[in-house]
Amino acid sequence: MTHDDGLPNDPEGIRLMIHALVDGELDAAAALAVERRIAADPRLAAEHARIVALQGAVSRLPHPDVSDAFRARIAAIGMAGTEQPASAEATEPQRGSPSALPGLIAGAGAGQRRAAGTRPSQTRTSPGARRFGSFDWRAMAASIMISAVLASGATQWVMQSGVDDGFAAAVASGHRRSLLAASPIDIVSSDRHTVKPWLDARIGVSPPAPDLAQDGYALIGGRVEVISGRPVPALVYRHREHLITLVAEPQQGGKVTQPDDLSSGGFFMVHWSDGGFSYWAISDMERPELDDFVARFRKAAV
Amino acid sequence: MPASGSLALGSKARAPSRLEVVRPTPPGVSDHGAALSERALAERFNQVVLPHLGDALALARWLTGNAADAEDVVQDACIKAHAGISGYAGGNARAWLLTIVRNTSYTWMSRNRPRGMMAVGDLGDLDDMAAAHGTSLPDEDGPEASLIAKADTAALEAAIAALQQPFRETLVLRDINGLAYREIAAMLDVPIGTVMSRLARARGLLASELGRTS
Repeated sequence: MTHDDGLPNDPEGIRLMIHALVDGELDAAAALAVERRIAADPRLAAEHARIVALQGAVSRLPHPDVSDAFRARIAAIGMAGTEQPASAEATEPQRGSPSALPGLIAGAGAGQRRAAGTRPSQTRTSPGARRFGSFDWRAMAASIMISAVLASGATQWVMQSGVDDGFAAAVASGHRRSLLAASPIDIVSSDRHTVKPWLDARIGVSPPAPDLAQDGYALIGGRVEVISGRPVPALVYRHREHLITLVAEPQQGGKVTQPDDLSSGGFFMVHWSDGGFSYWAISDMERPELDDFVARFRKAAV
Repeated sequence: MPASGSLALGSKARAPSRLEVVRPTPPGVSDHGAALSERALAERFNQVVLPHLGDALALARWLTGNAADAEDVVQDACIKAHAGISGYAGGNARAWLLTIVRNTSYTWMSRNRPRGMMAVGDLGDLDDMAAAHGTSLPDEDGPEASLIAKADTAALEAAIAALQQPFRETLVLRDINGLAYREIAAMLDVPIGTVMSRLARARGLLASELGRTS
């Protein structure tokens, strides 16, 4: 059986394409063609199901824990660059290390896995520190920075700032541009288990991405928007012929706000926050429908 | 992975000798860093490296075979990342860090367990083999998807550990670290088609292994 859908016709080639589909590596046209082949051939469908099942099982494997002590040890490596080598040498004569960094590794290598976050205070009390007037200040800044990083968690580093008109305008122009582009999405998938890891891998953060297909709002993919110089995740849903862009800006403050109408220029826009993310939903569909989408998303995302 | 427990002990005993290799780097680092702002570099290190420590540990754990060695490897890798942070040109920070972790893992293993390493020359043969046999398994119909989904964690981990290194690292980079094909191809310095066939082969082997043991 041959096809003229542009896909490879050998079993090996089509199998690789199924893997690529599951991995979210195909553009919309190729994804559609592969999905059609799968629908037409039970053996390809079984292979597809196997790959999905296997990928799910592998991704559910427990990840190694990053212990606080280990994280602090690595954070201390980052701090080491802010110390002058000469000062480090002067402050640690008892170790006989030429600089702070090997001293640190020597400690760790010898099995003394102490939290390296205590280093700044040790250094401050040593006589050599006086030669570098700014050192106290730097060490202080360094420990504050470590605490901030530890407290804010790994996935939230891309964010901050609040709502402003500039942000809404940028969301709107991103949506408009996406409608003009060859594809409004960078990752084509109706499977949130593909979209979320894709976003996570690129920008280290991914919002809730419930599939609302049963409600008439199908998740069709995602993309990364750059707004105010920061990458933010955007999900794309389809409702009949309308596309809905949902930009989700990670939020630090944790405040929850009710949907707020920011519509302008032929598009309808609704903004709300759930504590974890600040959302902007924009579409050219009518306001009541957009409100319906927002309500269903909020219900499904909790 | 033969007797990784005893190898891990051996590596700790030898730790001091490793330091001499690392020692010359830091002064150069600081000199270089001083050209930019040291604090800016430290901040970049925090943003680029710290969020991805979990992924770094996961990759090192699968490449070295155990979690204790993974911490040593990731620490070495982070020192290298710190030294090279001014060369990070944006893009996917996770892929950037994982590239360093991968290289560090192999350097570390070649020092600490020379016999465990696979010669680079074998890789081409493996890919030829994968291409010749296709990714398909001897029995065309693999196990039921439901069987795979039910596989227990230990069986799956054992099956991954039993994969040959090129297949294992490709699978881990894709399915555990979530890198894109292009990023994996760039990291391994192989064509994207090789990434695809290694990945398909790795998944095929895992599926048949799980189908057999379940």
